[in-house]
Amino acid sequence: MPVVLSRRLIPWLLLIACGVMMIQAQAQAQIQDRDRAETPVRLGERGQVEEIAGTLGTMGSDTMAGLMLRWGEALARRHPGIRLQLQASGSASAPPALVAGTTRLGPMSRPMSDVEHRAFVARHGYPPRELTVARDALVVVVHRHNPLAGLGRRELDAVFSDTQRCGAPGAIRDWQALGLDWPEGRIRLHGRNAASGTQALFRRVALCDGFFRPAVNEHPGSAAVVAAVAEDPRAIGYAGLNHLTPGVRAMAYRDDDGTLRAPDPEAVRRGDYALSRDLYLYLNLPPGEALPAPERAFIDLVLSPEGQAIVEELGFVALPEAQRRRQRRALALEVGG
Amino acid sequence: MLDSPPPTAVRRRLRQGRDRLATALITAGGIGVIAALLAIGIFLAVEVVPLFWPTGDSSAISPEALWGVGEDAGEAADEAIRHRWAPTASLAPGETPRISLAPLAWGTLEAAAWALAIAVPLALGAAAHSSLFMSRRLRSRLKPTLELMEALPGVVVGFVAGLVLAPWVERHLAEVVACLVLLVPGLLLAGGLRSWLPAPWREALPLGWAGLWLVPWLALVLAASVWLAPWLEAVAFDGDLRRFLELRLGLDIAVRNALIVGAAMGFAVMPSVYALAEDALSGVPASLAEGAQALGATRWQTLWRVVLPAASPGIFSAVMIGAGRAVGETMIVLMASGNAALMTLNPLDGLRSLAATIAIELPEAGPGGMHYQLLLLAALALFVFTFLVNTLAELVRTRLRRRYQRLGGGS
Repeated sequence: MPVVLSRRLIPWLLLIACGVMMIQAQAQAQIQDRDRAETPVRLGERGQVEEIAGTLGTMGSDTMAGLMLRWGEALARRHPGIRLQLQASGSASAPPALVAGTTRLGPMSRPMSDVEHRAFVARHGYPPRELTVARDALVVVVHRHNPLAGLGRRELDAVFSDTQRCGAPGAIRDWQALGLDWPEGRIRLHGRNAASGTQALFRRVALCDGFFRPAVNEHPGSAAVVAAVAEDPRAIGYAGLNHLTPGVRAMAYRDDDGTLRAPDPEAVRRGDYALSRDLYLYLNLPPGEALPAPERAFIDLVLSPEGQAIVEELGFVALPEAQRRRQRRALALEVGG
Repeated sequence: MLDSPPPTAVRRRLRQGRDRLATALITAGGIGVIAALLAIGIFLAVEVVPLFWPTGDSSAISPEALWGVGEDAGEAADEAIRHRWAPTASLAPGETPRISLAPLAWGTLEAAAWALAIAVPLALGAAAHSSLFMSRRLRSRLKPTLELMEALPGVVVGFVAGLVLAPWVERHLAEVVACLVLLVPGLLLAGGLRSWLPAPWREALPLGWAGLWLVPWLALVLAASVWLAPWLEAVAFDGDLRRFLELRLGLDIAVRNALIVGAAMGFAVMPSVYALAEDALSGVPASLAEGAQALGATRWQTLWRVVLPAASPGIFSAVMIGAGRAVGETMIVLMASGNAALMTLNPLDGLRSLAATIAIELPEAGPGGMHYQLLLLAALALFVFTFLVNTLAELVRTRLRRRYQRLGGGS
């Protein structure tokens, strides 16, 4: 019996050893991080500007996680004393954190709902400050060999929903009903999970607030939707613009007046492409008060040409120039930058 | 006889104190675990109370809307919107919310059922073979390997199933079907061939090592099925199996379907079922099996009539533990199932489980909202279900064990 026991313990011991090593490595990395963070605040290059230091905590959208991360890196290059602590568990996590005061910056991929807004006002006595920091779009994706040029609201509604509130005469279940010879057979539907901002936007615009068919495969991320569509010629799905891969083709969206709108950055920025949305940063800023230095530095970067270049680099769409300048002026940041 | 001096009073008291301390610690630990379990249940129950007895202006949710059970639940009885899960949709005035947990509960049970259908026969077969027939050396290698399989995280299994296995099966459907068709006859043929072999050859292929010398045979069967698949597809299925199924039989095949989930979860559940069943079978006293064989029973009769009944309490609890794990498993279902909240019997359709729904939607649901409470209700349902399954397993196990205790002379 003791022999059997020890045999059985071997895999567990190995596993525990692996775990211990990982924990140690992580602890070391943390110590290094702390050492780096604790380096004394230096004077600027020329010795006259005092460095801004501090930790910026943010909590919110996972769509914007990559964006926040890159902004944080760029900020650390500008001001080595600032560290960004990023928590990205979904847009819905931002308002509670802002209300509780655990964070002053809440990135959200959708505007705050009335309930969330009311909760903030009830706790702090003033409304949260809303900044538009980038634009994003949803694209309807099909397999790269699929010949379909574009779909309008009525077809998308007929394909994805079982309510047909956009006025389609009936449900569309196979590709032949869309006028194609190939691919053959049923349309396989892919989309984002309920409660995601992406699904809500698609439902509002393309389904006229109707209900999705239960046969829609709900994926926990846009990347998973794109991957699923890329492997199946008969699939159709919707995903964030910045998740496109060569395996899928982004279809144009046909407006109600019949013009096809491709999801190119210019159309998204002008608002011509209907499946687009703003990405927001919510601030806890009492009226009449100036922003604290780290927050100010962060927003200065986000609304700078450098920050907007990062937006474009990650596949989102930069703000129109006029809107960028207007927001800078409203926060009393230098407009020249 | 007694060389050591009798323990002094001080020492005895010290030992008693230590015993008492240990007893207290163990009791406290046990009570702590039970208290934690109760606390989880109570937390979930308290959180979902506002769903049924609302305090504000929101209306209470009827059980009909949740489970779709009401006979005349008015609009909820409408087939089109019954059994639908769309908790975040904004409703037009006068519209019934689509918040039925029934498709999610169905998906959970369907996935668990397929997982058990795949895992239990394989695991029990392997356990019976390795505890009774396999050579001791092979067994001592096999058991730790299978237990290592259990340490594989669910995310990894789910990832492989959802992103590698499912698309592969979709592309090679004919090969998979051919393989399933050929596997059983192929294995039976191997057994038949062995008994036809001349004696010295048979000596070289002992039964205890069947696990090893069947491996090349299995590879041969697999190769044959891959080789035969195009021919099979051309002759029997008009050249394209998927199209045949869809156009002729009206079967819609989802890439991520219940069978893929069942296979992946079966793979994850198998090691624990195997380990427990193997322990139970090895625990049957050898005297029983030897006695049966001495009285002229064949190996098969010994296994079927003597060893299996004697080990049945342990086997039953092994299956139940597997069922509990399959019901609660999250990542495999999430990644391999496609999460389509369907309620069909077709194993080639997608499904969606309670646990996966909670995992996907809870981070995005605002605390205190109806969606949040519904998800906690789903969690409560899951909690109660696994609790009931485990309790039932334990009750049946103790009863069975009492019944079979006489057989083994009280071991």
